[in-house]
Amino acid sequence: MPTSSRDLRLDFFRGLALIFIFVDHIPENILSYFTIQAVEFFDAAEVFIFISGYTAALVYGQTLVSQGALYATARILGRSWQLYVAHIFLFVMFTAEVSYTVTTFNNLMYNDEMRVGDFLYEPHVAIVKALLLEFQPTFLDILPLYISLLVVFPIVLLGLRSRPLTVLLPSFMLYLVVQATNLSVPAYPEGHVWYFNPLAWQLLFITGAALGFPGRHEQRWSRWARPALPLAAVVVAAGFVVKLSWTIHGIWDPFPGLLLKELWPVNKNNLSPIRVIPFFAAVAVIAIAMTANSPILRSPAAKPLVLCGQQSLEIFCLGILLSALGHFVLSEYDSAISIQLLVNLAGILVMCLTAGMLDWYKTMGRTQVPRFAAAQSGRGNHLGK
Amino acid sequence: MRWRVSAGGLGQLALLAAGLALTVPPAFSPAFGGALPCDVPDELMQVDDTLPHLAERLRAEQPVRIIAIGGASTTGLAAGSSDLAYPHRLQEILARWYPSSSITVVNRGVPRQTARQMLERFPTDVIPEDPVLVIWETGTTDAVRGVGVDDFAATLQTGIDELKAHGIDIMLVDLQFSHSTTTVIDFEQYLNALHRVGDVNDVTVFPRFEMMRYWSEQNVFNFDGVAKDERAGLAAKVYECIAGKLAEAIRVALR
Repeated sequence: MPTSSRDLRLDFFRGLALIFIFVDHIPENILSYFTIQAVEFFDAAEVFIFISGYTAALVYGQTLVSQGALYATARILGRSWQLYVAHIFLFVMFTAEVSYTVTTFNNLMYNDEMRVGDFLYEPHVAIVKALLLEFQPTFLDILPLYISLLVVFPIVLLGLRSRPLTVLLPSFMLYLVVQATNLSVPAYPEGHVWYFNPLAWQLLFITGAALGFPGRHEQRWSRWARPALPLAAVVVAAGFVVKLSWTIHGIWDPFPGLLLKELWPVNKNNLSPIRVIPFFAAVAVIAIAMTANSPILRSPAAKPLVLCGQQSLEIFCLGILLSALGHFVLSEYDSAISIQLLVNLAGILVMCLTAGMLDWYKTMGRTQVPRFAAAQSGRGNHLGK
Repeated sequence: MRWRVSAGGLGQLALLAAGLALTVPPAFSPAFGGALPCDVPDELMQVDDTLPHLAERLRAEQPVRIIAIGGASTTGLAAGSSDLAYPHRLQEILARWYPSSSITVVNRGVPRQTARQMLERFPTDVIPEDPVLVIWETGTTDAVRGVGVDDFAATLQTGIDELKAHGIDIMLVDLQFSHSTTTVIDFEQYLNALHRVGDVNDVTVFPRFEMMRYWSEQNVFNFDGVAKDERAGLAAKVYECIAGKLAEAIRVALR
């Protein structure tokens, strides 16, 4: 819902996260050395989930205040349904790609290995598991997280309206329990778990929501963020130095990976504190360093990203499809660096143009209604006289 | 959402850069039946780590027992017989090179197993055999099944710790390459995890994936378009090349 008071930082960074997700999802993509995950312990997924929580609270919080809990709940569930349909659509597309590959597959040395692709050998089970969100093939794991978080969001919202701590405290406790016990949500096939453990990742969504709930966010959280700024800046800088050293070490072995033996691997499923602490630090730094009316956000260069961020669901799904397509092109035809760059460029261009088109389409839809309504109410006034 | 940055992917980057810098060498036609064209670029034969226990055993001219644990490509059934699998070939080569020690390479391959399932076999299939070196070929099934990459890395770490605690040398062998599967399966994150585990533990990772990719790209072997009756023969040749390169890597690690 773009309004004049809309905080464009949300759209800008969500748009950027969507571009990064597209880039990072193409395996062996040179451009992925230039996304956030190459220089920080967190990646675009954290950004996406946090901002989604923030905007969900902003939008549905307003609905809750002005139109009541029942309608807010209905809207949230409507949105989760929309996400669910989008997820199933992506699943069907993914299945088609795999089926195509498998029907043309004739590599004896790989036959045994491919037989474990459970989906191919028991599609009747796999499809039911997909509908239940228990089957999450690679890349189709973030929407199930988002859906599960939205389904419980009406309750979260009520808590946030009365006392934010009644939501934040249990959320944090649950996160700690996951860290201590490795509690996870089972998935299909047997022995798998949800790639994004919702019991851990809820922390980002709910913290985002607490900050984004209308009426109290701005003052409250700058009161916390300002004194913590020097510390946050140090954390972000330290994360940057360490992670960059890992990235360089990966490219050029003699370069030392700082603290690599001590810190790696950093668990993503359960949102390791090594990921989440630098993330919150970065949020604090950016929130203070870049105000909501920063001219950068209104510059023509930022416009495509802002548009992508505003049409996040469509652009996310498109990005996933495009990265699968890009991966296919690179591995099927040519993976020279020039082709990689071309694939990235084409994908980002398609994402931005689609966002622009969706924005135009939705704006046209919105502007017609008020004109009609105004004409109606005008006539009403007339009659009243 | 998978993020990766490490040796595996970067090796490819280096290769790509090398490929761009040179004009691409013409694909040479393999002389099947004669000498095998198993050559790979030097970058793929870089071995930084050592095999101290194996070196000591060979120096003392004592018997050597090596366990090859892995999946379908360790059993080697695609070639038609376990004598054509890479472990047996490796034993032949090492026996030639180090005639003073009696060398046995035991094949402990079981098709379609994840790293965790292999780890669970350590107490029965590996440790009681009292090996001096374990060659652990893994990751392919994990990638096809989409096992969580964090879990995969943690499993490898547990396995390495266990072998090290028993004073056993370790070599990891990374995933099998197949052009047609790379389009639907994201191998990169598993490759990266495997190479990074090797890196932090000072364990050599044998870059089978990159080698097979190189052979495929150079048209030495065409894994995907091969006629039905030639498939087993092709597999045997590939396993033989793998064994040869692995033996060379072991020799370098013994220096």
